[in-house]
Amino acid sequence: MSLYEGAVKRPIMTSLCFVAVVIMGLFSLSKLPIDLYPDIESNTIMVMTSYPGASASDIENNITRPLENVLNSVSDLKHITSKSYENISVITLEFEFGNDIDVKTNDVRDKLDMITTLPDDANTPIIFKFSTDMIPVVMLSVKAKESLPALYKILDENVANPLARVKGVGTVSISGAPKREIHVYVDPVKLEAYGLSVETISSLIGAENKNVPGGNFDIGTQSYSLRVEGEFKDAHEMEKIVVGTRNGAIIHLSDVARIDDSVEERAQEAYTNGTQGAMVIIQKQSGANSVEISEKVMKALPRLQKSLPSDVELGIIVDTSDNIRNTIKSLADTIRDAMIFVSLVVFIFLGRWRATVIVLITIPLSLVASFIYLLGTGSSLNIISLSSLSIAIGMVVDDAIVVLENVTTHIERGSEPKQAAIHGTNEVAVSVIASTLTLIAVFFPLTLVTGMTGVLFKELGWMVCIIMIISTTCALSLTPMLCSQLLRLQRKQSKLFLTLYGPVEKALDKFDLFYAKVLDWAVRHRMTIIAGCVLFFAGSMMLAKHIGSEFFPTADNSRIKVTLELPIGTRTEISRDLAKEIHDKWRVKYPELLVANFSVGQASSDNIFASMSDNGTHIVNFNMRLCNPSDRKRTLSEICDSMRADLNKYPELKKFQVMLGGGNTGMGGQSSVDFEIYGYNFDETDKAAQELKALLLNIEGCSEVRISRSDYRPEYQVDFDREKLALHGLTTAGAASYLRNRINGSTASYYREDGDEYDIKVMYDPERRQSIEDIENILIYNAMGQAVRVKELGKVVERHSPPSIQRKDRERVNTVTAVLSGSDLGTVVAKAQEEIDKMDIPSGVSINISGSYEDQQESFHDLGTLALLIIILVFIVMAAQFESLTYPFIIMFSIPFALSGIIIALLVSGQTLNVMSMLGGILLIGIVVKNGIVLIDYISLNRERGMGVISSVVSGGKSRLRPVVMTTLTTILGMMPMAIGTGEGAEMWRPMGISVIGGLTVSTILTLVLVPVLYCSFASTGIVRGRKKLAKKNA
Amino acid sequence: MKSILITFDQAYYERIISTLEKQGCRGFTYLEQVQGRGSKTGEPHYGSHAWPSMCSAIISVVEDDKVQKILDILHAMDKQTEQLGLRAFVWNIEQTI
Repeated sequence: MSLYEGAVKRPIMTSLCFVAVVIMGLFSLSKLPIDLYPDIESNTIMVMTSYPGASASDIENNITRPLENVLNSVSDLKHITSKSYENISVITLEFEFGNDIDVKTNDVRDKLDMITTLPDDANTPIIFKFSTDMIPVVMLSVKAKESLPALYKILDENVANPLARVKGVGTVSISGAPKREIHVYVDPVKLEAYGLSVETISSLIGAENKNVPGGNFDIGTQSYSLRVEGEFKDAHEMEKIVVGTRNGAIIHLSDVARIDDSVEERAQEAYTNGTQGAMVIIQKQSGANSVEISEKVMKALPRLQKSLPSDVELGIIVDTSDNIRNTIKSLADTIRDAMIFVSLVVFIFLGRWRATVIVLITIPLSLVASFIYLLGTGSSLNIISLSSLSIAIGMVVDDAIVVLENVTTHIERGSEPKQAAIHGTNEVAVSVIASTLTLIAVFFPLTLVTGMTGVLFKELGWMVCIIMIISTTCALSLTPMLCSQLLRLQRKQSKLFLTLYGPVEKALDKFDLFYAKVLDWAVRHRMTIIAGCVLFFAGSMMLAKHIGSEFFPTADNSRIKVTLELPIGTRTEISRDLAKEIHDKWRVKYPELLVANFSVGQASSDNIFASMSDNGTHIVNFNMRLCNPSDRKRTLSEICDSMRADLNKYPELKKFQVMLGGGNTGMGGQSSVDFEIYGYNFDETDKAAQELKALLLNIEGCSEVRISRSDYRPEYQVDFDREKLALHGLTTAGAASYLRNRINGSTASYYREDGDEYDIKVMYDPERRQSIEDIENILIYNAMGQAVRVKELGKVVERHSPPSIQRKDRERVNTVTAVLSGSDLGTVVAKAQEEIDKMDIPSGVSINISGSYEDQQESFHDLGTLALLIIILVFIVMAAQFESLTYPFIIMFSIPFALSGIIIALLVSGQTLNVMSMLGGILLIGIVVKNGIVLIDYISLNRERGMGVISSVVSGGKSRLRPVVMTTLTTILGMMPMAIGTGEGAEMWRPMGISVIGGLTVSTILTLVLVPVLYCSFASTGIVRGRKKLAKKNA
Repeated sequence: MKSILITFDQAYYERIISTLEKQGCRGFTYLEQVQGRGSKTGEPHYGSHAWPSMCSAIISVVEDDKVQKILDILHAMDKQTEQLGLRAFVWNIEQTI
C-alpha cells in the first residue's frame, strides 16, 4: 500500500499524525530563543597577557611575538592579529567560521601551556572567548548624589557581581566610578633631609599593617592564642607610624608625608545626557543569547535597585535586544502578510473554498514542523530562519496544488472522491517528487557553503530543504486524504458565488486565450523571438555595470558610536569640555537622539570593556541611541554623515570615528575597506598611510578615512650612563624601579575595611612631580645606602614612541580604513587600486585590501561556485526526470533571464549587488526552472498523445498557463512583504525580496514564450533528423 | 452459466464489487492492473506518462438470469460517468469443474 493510499484509507491516523507534528512544532516554537543571526559571532578568541612596566615595543618583542609563533600553529586559523600596548599584549585569533569555538579554546590553551620563553614578570596569558568587536548587550547608566565617592564599591557589590552571575554574561565593567585608594604623598625634600626613601617608608607601612598570630599557650586550665593586631583600623592611623629617628627625635610619617584617603588619580568619567554618573557595561560570552541575557538583566534590575542606597538610580542607555526583538517582530509580520497574499492568490485561481483550505493547510503544517528542527539543532528564531520561512511560503503550496488539481480532474470525470484521491495522487506523485528534488538540488548545496556566508546559508538551506520535504509528504498524504473527505463533484454554484467569482473566471479565461494567441504567433516567428530574447539579455547585461556592489546591506539599528581623539596628551578636562560642547550641539541638531552617553579619560586596568577599546585622557567615546527608524525621517547613514561633517569643523580633533550601528562591523554595519600596509619600519609605513589617506579622501564616496596607528606619544626617557651606574654599584633595572616607585607609586600594603581591600600607595606628592627637574632630582640609593641624583647618572630626554604596535599574521601592520557612504564597495576599491598602483611604495612595504571587501570577495566567490554547482545538480535532476538531455537544456534558458530581471530590478530600486541579493539569485535558479518543467512536461505529454508539435505547444501552454502563473504569483507575493517592508531591519532582506521578484517576473514572462519556442525549434530539427535517418535506411 | 468480463477504470472498483455482492454473485476473478483503450471514444488507460490512468478487470461467472440485471446496472453506471470508461462482455460457459 502506497503512502497516499494508506493516508486516504486511514484518515484518522493521517490527521492525528499531522496534529502531533503541529503540537511538537508549537512546543518547539515556545522554547525557541530569539536572536539576530544564527550563532555567528563565535569565531574569535582573544589572548591577553600583561607585563607590567614594559613599553609597546618590549611587549611586542617579549610577549606578542613568542605567543604568535606558537599560536600560529592552531589549526583552522584565518588571521592572527595583535596589539601590543604599554603593559599589555592583546592577541586576537580569528578562525574560519563554522568551527567549534570550545574545541579551539582548548587547542589555544594547550599551545599556551607549551610556551616557556615568556619573561618571569609577565602574567599568565588569559583567554577570552569574545572579540574586541563584540558590542555590549546592555549598558546601564547610574546616577548618584551623596553616594558618588563610594559609588564603585556600591556598584561592584550590588550590581556588577549579581549581574556577572547571570548565565551567558561575559563581563560586567563599571566605568566612571573611580575606586578608593589611599595615597601616601611624600615630600622628597623632607625625605632627603631625614635620609629616608620611598622604599623604606613603603616597607615600613607594609610591616606595620600586619596581623601576626603568636601561637597558643596555656594559663591554668585554659588555652589561649596570642595575636598581634597591627592592621590599621583607620587610614589616618598611618600618620603615627614612626619612620625613623633624627638626633634622638622621633620622626612620624606625618612629618614627611600626607595621607590622602580618596580615589584613584586617573579615572574615566562618564556622562549620560549631560550629567555625570557611572556606567555599567554588560558584555555577553561568545555564543550566548543577547535577548535572553537582556531579559534576565531587565528582570534583575528592580531587585538590584532595591539593594542600592536611595540616591543611586539605575537607567538604561542601550539595550541591544530591543533592536533584535523589533527586527524579528517585523519579520514575523512579513510572514503573516505573505500568508495572506498567498491565500488570496490560491483562492482566486481555484475559486473554491474547500480546495483553498486543503491547499493552505500545508503552509502552517510545513512551517511549524521546521521549528522542531530549529529546536533540535539549538538554533533560534533569527533573520535567517524566519527569512527561510518567508521564502518557503510561496513554494510549499505548489505540490499540494498539483495534487489537488489532478484529484479534481478525476472527480470531474466521475470518480468517487476516495478513488479519485488515490489514483489522482498516484499519477502525479513522481513529478511532485521530482520538482521537490529540483528545489532540494538548489537548497541542499547551500548547507555546504563555508566561511561567513556559510554560517548564514547553512541554516537557510536546511530549513528550506526540511520544509520542502514536509510539504511534499503533506501533499502526498494529507492533501489526498482531505480531498477524499472534503471534495465533492461541483454541481451548480450559488448565485452569489457566480456574481462574485464570475468576472474573475472570465478574466482568467480571456487571459488563457490571449496567451494562446501570443504563443501561436511566437512559435511561427521563432527567429524573431529568439533574436529578441538574445538582444534583451545582452542589453540587460550592459546595465549590469551600473549596479554597485557591497557586502551586506547596512542595517538601521538606531545606534551610533563615535570616538573622538584629541592630540595625544590632552588633559581630561579639555577633552571633557569639548565632548560636552559637541554633545550639547548634537542634542539640538539631532532631535532624533534619545540617549547620548559619553565617557572620557583613562580607564583603570581592570575595566575589561574599556581596556579593550581605546581610552586615554585625550579620547572621548560616545554611545548614542536614536528613536526607531519609523519615527524619523533621516536614515542612520544620513545622520552619521552629517555628524562626520560636524566633526570635520573641529580642527582640534586629531581623529574621529563615527560607527553606524554601534561598532558592529561585518554584517549590518556600514561598508568599509581596510588597506593594510605591512612593513617593519614605522616611518615608511606611516608615510605610506598618510599618502594613502590623502588619496582616499579625494575619492568620492569615502566619508571617513582613518589610520589605525595612533599618534606617537611624547614621553620622557631617562638615558642612564651604564658606566656611572656601575661606579655607584647600580643596575638599570634597579635604578628604574626607584623612578617607578616615586612617580607611579609603590603599593605598600592593603588597607582592609569591611572585607574589602584598598591599595595603599606611596608616591611623591603631585606637586613634586610636575617638571623635568623633579625627575632629575630623584635620589637613587645603592646597596651601601649612598644616594645619587638621577641627573648624575644620566640624562632625561624627550622622545616619541608609538603607544601601540599592531600586527596581523605576524607582521607589523598599519591599517587605513575608509568608511563608505554614497558609493559602493566595488567602485571605491577599483578607484583606490588605481591610485595605489601609482603610489611609490618602498621595498619591504606592501598594501593589502581587506575589511568588508575581503569578506565580499570571499562570499561572492563562494556564491558563484555554489550557483554553478546548483545549476549542474538541477540539470541532473531534470535530465533524470525527463530521461532526456534536450529538455533540461531548453529549460535552463530561463536562468539567464532571471539574471536580467535581477539586474533591472536592482537598478530600478537603487539597490546594490550584495550577499542578500545574490542569495535571491540563487533561489531563483530553482524557482524559474520549475516553471519550465511544468510547461515542457505537459507539452511532451501532448506530443506523446499524438498531437503535432505546434498544436501540442499551444494547447499545452494554454492549459499550463494557470498553474505557472499561480505558483509564480504565490512566490512573488510571498516575497512582496520582504521587498516593500519598512519595519526595523527591513533593509537587510529587501535586496533579496527585490531580486527574487524582479528575476522571477522577467524570467516567467520570457519562459512562457521562449521555452515553447525553443521546444518547437529543437523538436522540428529532431523530426527532420528522424526523417533523414528513415530515408537513408529505406534507400 | 455465463461469464461476464467487466473492464473498467480503476475508480469503479468498489462500486462494481458492491453491485456484484448485491446481486448475489459471490465468485469473481479480479485483475488489478490491465491496460487498454476503447474502440471509439474510450481514452487509453496505459499507466504511462501520457496516459497515466489504469484499468482493472473482473471476470465473474453468474447464473443466466442474473446477467441482464447486472448489465443494466453496469450500463447505468457507465452512463453516469462516461469519461471514466466501463465495458462488460458476456459469453457462455461450456463446462466447469
